Amino acid sequence: MTSKTRIPIQLQINGRQHELEVEPRVTLLDALRDHLGLTGTKKGCDHGQCGACTVHVDGERVLACLTLAVQAEGRAVTSIEGLAQEDGTLHAVQAAFLEQDAFQCGYCTPGQIMSAVACIREGHAGSDDEIREYMAGNLCRCGAYPHIVAAVRQAAAEVAS
Amino acid sequence: MTVHMKRHGESKRGDASDGREAVGGRLSRVDGPPKITGAAKYAVEQQLDGLAYAVLVESTIAAGKVRSIDTEAAESAPGVLRVLTPDNIPPLKTASDWLGTPPPDAPYYPLARDITFSGQHVAAVVAETFEQAVAAAALVKVSYDEAPAIVDLSDAKAGDGIPIDAMTKEWGDAEAAFAAAPVRICAAYNTPREYQAPMEPHGLIARWQGDQLTVWEPSQWLDGMARTYAEWFGVPFENVRLVSPYIGGGFGSKALALGHGAVAAIAARMLERPVRLVMTRPQTFTGYGGRAATRQTVTIGADAEGKIQSIVHRGVNETSIDGMWVEPLGSTTSIMYATPNFSSRQNVVRVNSVVPGAMRAPGENPSAFGIESAIDELAYEVGIDPLEIRLRNYAEEDPHAKKAWSTRQLREAYAVGAERFGWSKRSPQPRSMRDGNQLIGWGVAAGTYPVRRAYGEAMVRILADGSVEVESSSIDMGQGTYTILAQTAAETLGVPADNVVVKLGDSRFARAGVTGGSRLAGVMTGAVHKAASAALDELVALAISDPRSPFHALQANTLVVANGRIASPRGDGPEVSIAELLASVGRDRIEAKGDTMPANSTAEERYKNYTTIAMALPHTEGDYSRYSWCAHFIEVRVDEDFGTVRVSRVVSALDSGRLYNPKLAESQWKGGIIMGIGQALLEEGIVDRRHGRIVNNNLADYLVPTNADIPDIEVISVGIPDPHSSALGGKGVGELAIVGVAPAIANAVFHATGKRIRDLPITLEKLI
Repeated sequence: MTSKTRIPIQLQINGRQHELEVEPRVTLLDALRDHLGLTGTKKGCDHGQCGACTVHVDGERVLACLTLAVQAEGRAVTSIEGLAQEDGTLHAVQAAFLEQDAFQCGYCTPGQIMSAVACIREGHAGSDDEIREYMAGNLCRCGAYPHIVAAVRQAAAEVAS
Repeated sequence: MTVHMKRHGESKRGDASDGREAVGGRLSRVDGPPKITGAAKYAVEQQLDGLAYAVLVESTIAAGKVRSIDTEAAESAPGVLRVLTPDNIPPLKTASDWLGTPPPDAPYYPLARDITFSGQHVAAVVAETFEQAVAAAALVKVSYDEAPAIVDLSDAKAGDGIPIDAMTKEWGDAEAAFAAAPVRICAAYNTPREYQAPMEPHGLIARWQGDQLTVWEPSQWLDGMARTYAEWFGVPFENVRLVSPYIGGGFGSKALALGHGAVAAIAARMLERPVRLVMTRPQTFTGYGGRAATRQTVTIGADAEGKIQSIVHRGVNETSIDGMWVEPLGSTTSIMYATPNFSSRQNVVRVNSVVPGAMRAPGENPSAFGIESAIDELAYEVGIDPLEIRLRNYAEEDPHAKKAWSTRQLREAYAVGAERFGWSKRSPQPRSMRDGNQLIGWGVAAGTYPVRRAYGEAMVRILADGSVEVESSSIDMGQGTYTILAQTAAETLGVPADNVVVKLGDSRFARAGVTGGSRLAGVMTGAVHKAASAALDELVALAISDPRSPFHALQANTLVVANGRIASPRGDGPEVSIAELLASVGRDRIEAKGDTMPANSTAEERYKNYTTIAMALPHTEGDYSRYSWCAHFIEVRVDEDFGTVRVSRVVSALDSGRLYNPKLAESQWKGGIIMGIGQALLEEGIVDRRHGRIVNNNLADYLVPTNADIPDIEVISVGIPDPHSSALGGKGVGELAIVGVAPAIANAVFHATGKRIRDLPITLEKLI
């Protein structure tokens, strides 16, 4: 491959600017994982079916596997690595996931957490049934769902207070 | 290698003073912090210089031969380094199976010329980037000579299959007793192909350095897979290093080295570069086997009071054309109820499928769907409560092995579960409970899983700063190995769990057998306990006998270690930290490798123990029969017009013996129940009858439960420590809870609707 097929792009990820050269067909997910070493965002299906690759783009939850990296140019991307504070203080959702044991293998967890943060921000954490519905796009094969609901409920209360 | 520092600043985690850190305490997952921050690097996420990317090409026919493969377009595509086909791939040696059976002296080609199932690996493209490999793989043109395929068990060409005599279990005269019984039921129960569908797809990075192979691969069995790679490539076992720090779910599917691993390792050797190969999600449906489709007939003869006189059971499971998988369908059938007469036999039928494999509770799970549905049918036939019929036929000993149970808290599970569920308020007649347009049904079923035991090994080090390291090549795929081994070492040594670092997932560590069959926790807590006890003994002996020790003058017989400090049990004399003691005697560490193998074991026996399952200890060894038990009480709501089924309530009482960490065990139980809900209502591999393909080979069409499908689930531990099952009293946790869920739901659906569904999954078209 010649470098001509690559294009330079700038991505703002977790508040930092990254310059990279990628083919236009590179997804945001693969740019994060393979080009920037940000492997916290997971690839479960590569087809927008499982939610493991959920990140925030301009504050909204987005499936990174269905987003081309070039589409994220000029927009603010937040991945799981950017959720805790610089000093390591966990986001309320992260802390609630740990306390409620809302994961087992951990592979869907970054996507669940990014979805949960958005779910609360969207105002869709008003009841357990609402949480279940608005978290239904993130599959968890270990079956942590009841604990995920408990964690989102707990974090929503903490965020509100 | 993976290190978890346990100081993660979680405010409500608790500390040593509230007992959470001891064995049996509710310590939060010590591998939690890296998992919730994205810092946990799973196997294929290692960033290596010079990495090349491989993508598989799979067969599009189910039977026949590859006539030719046109690789010209692919080879000239940008970035392509190599296109591997059956014509140019170097042969490997055939490896032994997981029992260690010596293989035939025949070459092994992980890319096939003879096609026996759709989705078989036939080629692979390696390129500089992932995108280039994907694009070039689409340019590989394979032409075939297609032959007729046997697409599944219902195919007219499938036949009756091969009798598996080893599965036959018989006592009394079951046929005659059935014929003579006043109450008789007979029904057929079917389960479809189901898939483990772990969220992390299978894949690996393979790297050769000379004749040393390193494989980063999600693995339930590092030493077993290292053995296979070593045998394939004809290198010593020690030359292969498996690294699997985290595993994104396995459920039985990640225990063995598979063809895609061989392809990646061959490509890495040919190119002299590290190669990453990850299956696409569709490829995970055919790159290895899910649960085999099964057929069972269960006949029960009983007296007028519902006391069982005879059970006759016949089972069939599918296997592949050239591989053998036996899903033991009589396993639950033969032990759940007391019966004077019993007969179970099983056949396997060859179909054009990938060889099926292990999926959560292989055998016991589909077996329980048969017997636990049938006993419910018998309850209605006799006219007694489904819970009562289970108590009337309660097996006071193992009916097959004729041995006492080590522990069987199933009666307690029924009582506690029924009480919490409110079973006594159940209206017995089908269709007699409703909420508006929803028919409500309450069902019960039991589950069981044998206690699988093996020998284990662990390294425990007490370091100069008083911290403790535990090393094992066992793994944590979410069951909580990191956490419970930290708790075990902390309790045994008398140090805070915060001071214990557990390192897993590297085959350079102390060896470990397979993580499967719910055996690992029992094996590894025993091994760590033994190694830590030896380290403690050495520490105390040093403190007592070394002339430089502050305790030397005390002339004590023993010392106690608590909260990381050493003191005399009488309270006299000095109290020093472990670090101070080690400094005073001039030691930088105490190291103890402990194993639970018989003392005179040879090196060959040790190798065999960790790299095969041939030395697993029978669960009926000696005087006892060892099983975990559970009872599920489930409420369903069925829309009367549309036949849609929702599980609205689950109460399960489970006997896994002593729990090493109830917080994590409860999570595993709930996970098993949720997978059981999927099995009951959603999951089915659908076969295209023309081409023998799995048409729903993705996560949008193969339906696993979503958050919106799952209600609150209450799990209750009724277990008691079982000294015959493990060193610390635990039995199995992970496999157990799925067993019995599907029949409990089917029984609830019958109670709701009056319709008995004997084919999983229970979908709406079967109810309207």
